[in-house]
Amino acid sequence: MAQYLQDFPEEFVERYSRLIPDFADFLKVTGTASRKTIRVNTLKATKQEVVDWLGDLGPEALPWWDLAFGIRDVEGIGKRLGHFLGLFYIQDAASMIPPLVLDPKPEETVLDLAAAPGSKTTQISAMMQNTGLLIANDSSSRRVRGLVGNVDRAGCLNVAVCRMDGNRIGRLLENSCDRVLVDAPCTCEGTIRKSHQVLNRWSVSAIQRFSRLQNGLIVSGFRALRPGGLMVYSTCTIAPEENEGVVTYLLSKFPNAFVLPIELPGFVMRPALDTWKGESFPEPVRHCRRILPQDNDTEGFFLALIRKGDAEAG
Amino acid sequence: MLKQVKELSERFGIDPGVFKRLGFMLRQETVFIADRKVMEFDQVKPIRRGIRFCRVFPHSVKPTTWAMQILGKHATRNCIDVTKEQAVELINGKQLKLNAAAENGFVIIRCSGHVVGVGHYKSPILKSQIPKYRPVE
Ligand SMILES: C[S@@+](CC[C@H](N)C(=O)[O-])C[C@H]1O[C@@H](n2cnc3c(N)ncnc32)[C@H](O)[C@@H]1O
Repeated sequence: MAQYLQDFPEEFVERYSRLIPDFADFLKVTGTASRKTIRVNTLKATKQEVVDWLGDLGPEALPWWDLAFGIRDVEGIGKRLGHFLGLFYIQDAASMIPPLVLDPKPEETVLDLAAAPGSKTTQISAMMQNTGLLIANDSSSRRVRGLVGNVDRAGCLNVAVCRMDGNRIGRLLENSCDRVLVDAPCTCEGTIRKSHQVLNRWSVSAIQRFSRLQNGLIVSGFRALRPGGLMVYSTCTIAPEENEGVVTYLLSKFPNAFVLPIELPGFVMRPALDTWKGESFPEPVRHCRRILPQDNDTEGFFLALIRKGDAEAG
Repeated sequence: MLKQVKELSERFGIDPGVFKRLGFMLRQETVFIADRKVMEFDQVKPIRRGIRFCRVFPHSVKPTTWAMQILGKHATRNCIDVTKEQAVELINGKQLKLNAAAENGFVIIRCSGHVVGVGHYKSPILKSQIPKYRPVE
């Protein structure tokens, strides 16, 4: 364990060795890249076509979704002809989970509140079979350019790209969306496997700063939901202040917000925390799920599935 | 249907039924195409609706590679089939010399049943109109 420990800020180790029971396994896995995975873009290709195009990379079906495949990691997969044609999208397996839990349907109105560069937008668009309205918003001009490029390449005809502060969009779309994804900006602790640079930017004050931003965004996303609609709140970080804490904040503001259980057979997820640093989270927050890198050979993620009840009845 | 869309659907023999549930918008010499619900959406002002369908020039209408990759599969004429090696050359900006059963003008380039993008054919030269992308190998 010592060989990995030196990369991590002391405070990081102090926090997460308490939170993650198999912390040694966590550290070990963060020293390796996660398994390379792709998603079939059903707007352009069938599963079989993609398997044929990637034959030499030994595509292996993953047990939890028939459109997700593990492949051998080679240089330059993004330079392949099949990738240029938009037949598949290179995406970490954990990042495919929030749209799967959201489960958008054709013809619906869906908001992706923090969408750039569009991994989940393009996945949601395909799940909606290129119909209905998917509002893909992000506040960063630079990142929106990447989002537009991915929407083009994936062939998404059901996407409206917006560029505004996600805090504002909820009031503008009040009670109008069937589903909302808030894939929030975060400290990205779960992506350490991709780049250890996140550790250079890591600090407890950054966690606190993001958590305030996330409180605003989850509320905005919830406002945009119609009564009966579903929202997924996700982050690629471990900090409870950015996860269970944010869901707790939403529940404290809206008595008509209900946390629902999450299941995805074949994919290992852990229950959310019930306490952190002396704060107890409300019982329904336990329904949220944590994805740890060592469990499925992915990045780390957090997920909450929330239903909006009627204001009075719930 | 916008006249530019009609022109391209005729050139490529695309059944107009394909566009039934889609809406179009002409902005600054570019036609955008999207689901009607996207076109009608007005609660927030999007910076982009759907994808670019074509560019309108004074004497021609040029379809985009990204739109043809998704709608070009319905094309029945003015398509040129190439090998994977040729497709890679075209994406990387090269031109090909070949005899194809296509009229001069914009064509849809296909490879292994998938649309690669748009080209311009002036017999016997096929020039790529595919946007610059990272090199494909
Ligand atoms: C985790 S990333 C989103 C990844 C994206 N959902 C995907 O799957 O490709 C978070 C995004 O939130 C955006 N963001 C940060 N602050 C925001 C705000 N106030 N409103 C909207 N988006 C914001 C960032 O620009 C960033 O693109």
